[in-house]
Amino acid sequence: MRSWSKAMVGGFAVALAVAGCAGSGSGNDTGGQTSAPSGPRTLTVWLMNGSAPTVLTDGLHKEFQDSHKDVTVKYEIQQWNGIQDKLTTALASNDAPDVIEIGNTQAPKFASENVLEDLTANVGDFNGANWLSALKESGSWDGKQYAIPFYAANREVLYRKDLFEQAGITAPPTSREEWLAAIGKLKTKFGSDPDFQALYLPGQNWYTLLSFIWDEGGDIAKKDGTKFTATLDSPEAKAALDFYKKLVEESGTKAPKDADEQTPEQAGIYGGGKVAMFIGLPWEVGTAAKSDPSIKDKTSAFPIPSKTAGKTAPVFQGGSNLAIPANSKDKDLARDYLKLIASDKYQGEFAKVGMIPGTSKDVSALEADPVNAAMAKASVNGRAVPATPGWATIEAGQNPIKDLLTAFLTGAKPVDQATKDANETLNKAFSG
Amino acid sequence: MTSTVDTARSAGTPPPAARPGARRRARRPLSETALPYLMLAPAVVVMLALLAWPALQVLAISFRKLDLGELVRGEIKWVGFDNYTSILTDPEFWVIGLRTLLFTITVVLATLLLGLGIAVLMRHLSGWVRGVLQVCLVLAWATPIIATTTVFQWIFDQQYGILNKTLVLIGFDSFKGYSWFTSGTSTLAVIGLLVIWQAVPFIAFTLYAGLVNTPSDLYEAAAIDGASGWSAFRAVSWPSVRPLLTLVTFLSVLWDFKVFTQVWAIRQGGPDGESTTLPVLLYLRGIAASHFGVSAAVAVLMLVVLVAVTWRYMRLLVRSPETEL
Amino acid sequence: MLHKSPAQRVALAVFGLVLAGFFLFPTYWMFTTALKTPAQILSPAYDLVPLSATLKNFVNAITKPGFTTFLTNSLTVTLGAVAFALVAGLLAAVPLARLRFRGRKGFIMLVLVAQLAPLEALFVPMYLIMRDADLLNSLWGLLLVYVAFTLPFTVWTLRGFVKGIPIELEEAAMVDGCGRWGVFTRVTLPLLGPGLVATSVFSFITAWNEFLYALVFMREKDKQTLPVWLSSFKTAFGTDWGGIMAASVIYAIPALIFFLLVQRKLVSGSTAGAVKG
Repeated sequence: MRSWSKAMVGGFAVALAVAGCAGSGSGNDTGGQTSAPSGPRTLTVWLMNGSAPTVLTDGLHKEFQDSHKDVTVKYEIQQWNGIQDKLTTALASNDAPDVIEIGNTQAPKFASENVLEDLTANVGDFNGANWLSALKESGSWDGKQYAIPFYAANREVLYRKDLFEQAGITAPPTSREEWLAAIGKLKTKFGSDPDFQALYLPGQNWYTLLSFIWDEGGDIAKKDGTKFTATLDSPEAKAALDFYKKLVEESGTKAPKDADEQTPEQAGIYGGGKVAMFIGLPWEVGTAAKSDPSIKDKTSAFPIPSKTAGKTAPVFQGGSNLAIPANSKDKDLARDYLKLIASDKYQGEFAKVGMIPGTSKDVSALEADPVNAAMAKASVNGRAVPATPGWATIEAGQNPIKDLLTAFLTGAKPVDQATKDANETLNKAFSG
Repeated sequence: MTSTVDTARSAGTPPPAARPGARRRARRPLSETALPYLMLAPAVVVMLALLAWPALQVLAISFRKLDLGELVRGEIKWVGFDNYTSILTDPEFWVIGLRTLLFTITVVLATLLLGLGIAVLMRHLSGWVRGVLQVCLVLAWATPIIATTTVFQWIFDQQYGILNKTLVLIGFDSFKGYSWFTSGTSTLAVIGLLVIWQAVPFIAFTLYAGLVNTPSDLYEAAAIDGASGWSAFRAVSWPSVRPLLTLVTFLSVLWDFKVFTQVWAIRQGGPDGESTTLPVLLYLRGIAASHFGVSAAVAVLMLVVLVAVTWRYMRLLVRSPETEL
Repeated sequence: MLHKSPAQRVALAVFGLVLAGFFLFPTYWMFTTALKTPAQILSPAYDLVPLSATLKNFVNAITKPGFTTFLTNSLTVTLGAVAFALVAGLLAAVPLARLRFRGRKGFIMLVLVAQLAPLEALFVPMYLIMRDADLLNSLWGLLLVYVAFTLPFTVWTLRGFVKGIPIELEEAAMVDGCGRWGVFTRVTLPLLGPGLVATSVFSFITAWNEFLYALVFMREKDKQTLPVWLSSFKTAFGTDWGGIMAASVIYAIPALIFFLLVQRKLVSGSTAGAVKG
């Protein structure tokens, strides 16, 4: 036993020495603007599963390789599961990818850690004047731009045209009052069916709560330089909670109060045909259509109504950013690539498949489809969550805003206690 | 360096085979001395390089600030005990630690009882029933975690879950729209069931393998002696199963204490963090936030708890290697 | 105990089948979900027995690009890891159970402590090691990782089984003129059957199901394994649940085949006990 513990201590000392060196293999030789190497080059591009349509990447990579004869684009589609771990290790490797896509709520973490190339000087090259402000915000840290917008989407109210018509609702609601009135009419008409829900709204659809908070004039947190302080205990946030509760109560939704829109998948329930409205993303219609193909033609959308009649409520804009890892071996080439992908030509492909382009103001392709048009209309008022590295933890799970909603809706905690607790947890996450 | 045949078993009356051992000891050729080391070498190399070495690095990292930036740039920032103080001064850590221990104990006990019961049962079942049971167990074991966690969520879903639907069908109307995840305890109960369901097949098969190694003539002898089921089990099966049972207890404690995927998948440690266990804490504070120093410190603390819990067993093994397991 | 009345037999069989049902149910549910259309997955109807069935999910899963590559990779890594772990584990288990030598305690300690650290915390240092050894993106590297994960258990369990073999048997065979190798292959190995089955099934399932290390270490798409393939049914636009369930059914089949191939040993191990008589 004694000899063993001696060996252990010895081993520990060696480990300390070597663990000290671990990781030093990368980075040192790759930094800086080295002159472009001659001969055949490879540009490694990592985009996420299902993000850029194939039409976009096929055309883009052909054009890029035609204009860079010696370059091969190595395009690798990444899975969402475990992407954090994969990006972390890839960025630390001596063989880092040259262009990566990162979710916009993850972007601040990467930007603040100084592991991405500073792109501030190139904003103009990447269509900078036309950027979506929410995504610009998530890619910047301390006044510098580390990631550029790629594409985004925001939530809207998807509804059944046929049911609205039968209930005598002539035009989609444009204010909270009209929205509640529509719910009332739908219930009068279809309420006798026990499975009918005028609005499907799970207790933890926190993106919707964000819309209401912003609409009240409040916010999740106050920004001061790179510091954030949570403001979920503000009167605006409490008013937003009250309206959320009102929607849940008025609509008689059977959705669970302790789960979000994914468990179970709300689009699947909408596809079942007994739901008149839900708050979701445009492509969720496609998911619903897998259950019932005819539902696509019966569905339209309107922006989440504001408390001010005629306006639309601000919406959370979720999407992706593009960045160049600091360990990329060919950053100039990566810049050329970003320049091309940020051009109107390729950004237009996003609009065609129902997403909001990140670096182009041209959303005309979205107007053709009413579901996409409603999203485009609301997107003008797009907002972002606090651009702080601490947000990555909240996004990973244990979101205090979800817990706040459940506690408030089930009556487990009085509103003051619930908001105070959520505020504290949020502040803790911001500081960690 | 001596190498002898283990004669502990036949102490008392020296068996005839003691002689070759003695002869060997007298000559002690180099190949004999080196033999155990040569045989151990592959296992030692792999375990040292890929388990012990990274584990020591984790220990070292727990005294460093290692965020994404430091990792990518290969920077070394020693911070002493900062990671530990930040964790240990958080009252939440102690609550979560205690919860994890209770969860582990409950799940381990349930798994072992069920596993042992099934192992014994398999021995007494006729051919085809045993075959059916074994195939069902292997299927449960082999089903990928991503599928089982999802299926469990569906089964327990409050609106569409087959469990609530069945309960309502047989007359328990109060389960219509009943949520199984309103409190940390009920959430952990569902998670525990999932873990037990996945762990029992392994335990049952291991113990069964030990049981079939008991010669069946011993059972017959016991039966002739008029031993009833229970006393025959005590007299014949127990001695051959006990060392394996100790082993799987030890392993179950380690595995159930460290279980992460299932806890995370069901409710991400919710509601309100009430089903958060230490591995979830490690993931949230450390890996999701890219504070690898903090996650290493949580890992080391978990290791300390595990050593404390299994101390008696480990000391027994190391102090007296000649005892039966 | 071996002489049971018919009533006892029936009662035991019924009890066994009820337990089998309990363990089968989630797998059964996975299987019936794989046969459902999206509309049926979230349906208020009572569907303990599937109301109708479609094979579309299975067709989609198998025809998803890369399936055969991922399957080959998974089989290679898993079977390789099982073989390596068994050989290395058995080699270590025999001296550990039978011989006295210096460093024995140290080795036992290594085997014990090696299992304590949570794998989620090991992946960063492990990644650095594999990177420096140039084993990233290599099926060999992943194979070694899985050997390391399963080896402590393999060594420990096999040691128990070797110890369980009465030494007199081996010595008697030795006296009968068998060489060391003869004793090992004719006496020790057959008696280890059940232990080898239990540990190889354990290694197989551990390696077969591992996701995180496969994802992080295998950068290139054509090097990835089935768990990574399984996760590709999740996209930003929602998850193809029917597809995941069908894929999971397909995924569980090789493990079942492996078990059926080796499980006869579980029986032959007990008959090998006859050698003793």
